[in-house]
Amino acid sequence: MHKPDFEHALQDKLAQLDKQKQPERDLWPGIELALVKQEDQARNVHDLSDKKVRVNDNSRYWGRAVALAAAVAIIALVSWKGVLPNDDMISGEELVAALSAQHEEQKNALLVQFEGKNALTNNWQQQLAELDSAAEAIKKALLNEPDNMALLKMLQSVHQQQINLIERVHSPKWSQI
Amino acid sequence: MTNSGFFFAALNLCRLTCDLFYNLANEDKRLTEYSNIVAAEHKFATDDERQLLLAVKNGNRQAYHQLYHQYIGQVYALCYRLTGDKSLAEDASQEVFIQLWRKIGDYSEQSKFSTWLHTVTSHITISYIRKQRGWVQRMFNIENSSAVNNIAEPSAGEVDIEKYVLRLPERARIVFVLHAIEGYRHEEIAQMTNMAIGTSKAQFHRAKQLLEEWMGYA
Repeated sequence: MHKPDFEHALQDKLAQLDKQKQPERDLWPGIELALVKQEDQARNVHDLSDKKVRVNDNSRYWGRAVALAAAVAIIALVSWKGVLPNDDMISGEELVAALSAQHEEQKNALLVQFEGKNALTNNWQQQLAELDSAAEAIKKALLNEPDNMALLKMLQSVHQQQINLIERVHSPKWSQI
Repeated sequence: MTNSGFFFAALNLCRLTCDLFYNLANEDKRLTEYSNIVAAEHKFATDDERQLLLAVKNGNRQAYHQLYHQYIGQVYALCYRLTGDKSLAEDASQEVFIQLWRKIGDYSEQSKFSTWLHTVTSHITISYIRKQRGWVQRMFNIENSSAVNNIAEPSAGEVDIEKYVLRLPERARIVFVLHAIEGYRHEEIAQMTNMAIGTSKAQFHRAKQLLEEWMGYA
């Protein structure tokens, strides 16, 4: 058969292709879950920027309040660093040390709070240790570039992930979805 | 032919000409009416869609669910052809609708929503494939595998073009789907996929060669 036959046959076949195809499973629940998560994150950021941190006595919200307080403290520290005159400026190393100390305090408080309670996964402590290693690697990088804001944010993010991890593995199963 | 015969023949010719003009005029009228109906339907559909899009832009999740139902078929079909895999296509479709919720404010109504959504879907899916390819290619060098060229036997009966397109090597498939099925130009494809225009053309040629072989024309 000749090339023009193929071109013609190909065009015919392509014209017959369906423009629509339905997936075999309903994809909406996954999409909706992701949207809810996104909105929660956006709300947290918004709350922070407005400095409207509301601490709830309920232990379910306690961890989140701690995380928000940590973020506010970081903002305050960074702002303070910007406002202080040069000779009194807190150095990058001191800032990292202050952040780490505060995070350790929060983390330990949470670990004490959940001590003895059943965790949802068995390897959460291993995950926590991996995040610790990540934080250490960032701190090492910060030694070379103490004023690198991207690294500071990264460190803050790792700290936040640790807090979230501890909270999630200890929250009751019914609140997971 | 007698005079009267000629007269009747001329009369018949006149009648036929009149009928023809009458029919043509009516056909023209019918066509105008039909195009008015189509235009009206299109306008109503656009108005409905505009309302729906406005609700979605205002953060109405139910409206977004409705929009999802309306367009999931279109989005999934494109994702499926680009990824060549059901599971990846499902994930990519979800990614499209997750990102669309944030991006929908960018839609300026300068083109049809479905056209704009097509572009968004193509971009997100290609980016998704690139992320997936990162680790997959480290594991298996699929593109350079010789198996890819022998993957389909030439057709003996009815040709299922969809099946053959899905079997194309990844880059050839993406270029073929975007160019031959979706109508993108090679310049646009090059921009979307970060490949040279010449590479896009070469991949398209490769895709066609493989299809020609598999369809039994080579």
